[in-house]
Amino acid sequence: MSSPALALPLGLAAAAAPPDRGAPPREAEREAIEACRRGEREAFDRLVVRYQRDVYRLCYRYVNDHEDANDLAQEAFLKAWRAISRFRGESSFSTWLYRIAVNACLNFRAQRRPTTQELPETLADPVPGALARAEGDDEARRVRAAVARLPEKQRATLILKVYHELTHEEVAEILGSTVGTVKANLFHALGNLRRLLSAEGR
Amino acid sequence: MTRHVPDESLADLAEGGGAEADRAHAAGCGRCAARVDEARAGLALARRADVPEPSPLYWEAMRRNVGRRIAEEPHGAQRWPWLVPVASAVVAVAVVVFTTGRTHAPTAPPPRTLPAWSALPAAADDVSLEVLEGLAVADPELEKLDEGRGVTAFIADLSDEDYRALADSLRRAGQGGES
Repeated sequence: MSSPALALPLGLAAAAAPPDRGAPPREAEREAIEACRRGEREAFDRLVVRYQRDVYRLCYRYVNDHEDANDLAQEAFLKAWRAISRFRGESSFSTWLYRIAVNACLNFRAQRRPTTQELPETLADPVPGALARAEGDDEARRVRAAVARLPEKQRATLILKVYHELTHEEVAEILGSTVGTVKANLFHALGNLRRLLSAEGR
Repeated sequence: MTRHVPDESLADLAEGGGAEADRAHAAGCGRCAARVDEARAGLALARRADVPEPSPLYWEAMRRNVGRRIAEEPHGAQRWPWLVPVASAVVAVAVVVFTTGRTHAPTAPPPRTLPAWSALPAAADDVSLEVLEGLAVADPELEKLDEGRGVTAFIADLSDEDYRALADSLRRAGQGGES
């Protein structure tokens, strides 16, 4: 599996920057992880700075709410801190962290399931031309809401693949799935997303 | 007519990749071409939905909050460092006790209650027996103690009262085995 590369240096400046996935493997990140294993909170702080944006956005895609995303992102980092002694480096740190965040989101949604209505696995075909009605911020809001209504696996796959630009292999590892299943889920997610937004315009 | 392109391969086509044979099939198959177009339309829609950017101050606040919450709890690998040697000692003593007990075990079933003059409590009243049974079925891989599993997790769940009862019972059993 290809590991996503992460940018250096680990500093406050990275908080506003997306991950540099083309960078070489980072010695500083490995050192930070080793320091975390020794209980050095400052080292974990550098990892938080590096990844907080990605984790927050991942959570936001799931729950479509700032406050919930904030809580889930912090919870994901806390779980990562508690479990970092068990991180063996078999996957990249980002993949491992994403898996923690995804699980936190799945648990959150499972607890709130009565208030969220997921789509069936497939939807009816849309009315032609309805998509043209969506514009600007309102469209973005509606798309986010539609993504949040996709079936669980489809939503997770779409978020990780499209918005976080992970490889199929990375998504499969995070979701404990196969590459073929990831691709199929992505295909169905895209089709369902289009149908859902089209159906809203009827 | 060749078989339609499977869903996982249609995703590749929608993303602009895919095998040459699949692309050739989709080019001549209205059904597969329509499905690829639909996925592409969904992809275009998905990419229009960016996440609202929080205030620049938000990231610093999150970092501080995470740091504060981490500071409020002990590090996972060092949560109960004293438990490692304690658990190791308890396991060692328990092994000795069980081994010694088996060596001298009577062939007849033990009485349900002990004589009144016994230094040990009756089985029904002895909480340490449950503790020892727990130790016997706990994860024996001592090298994993530092990960909070197995005996460590078992010991960590003991109440102070049960822990003292276990220690007292093992101490008495050790004295009895030596006499």
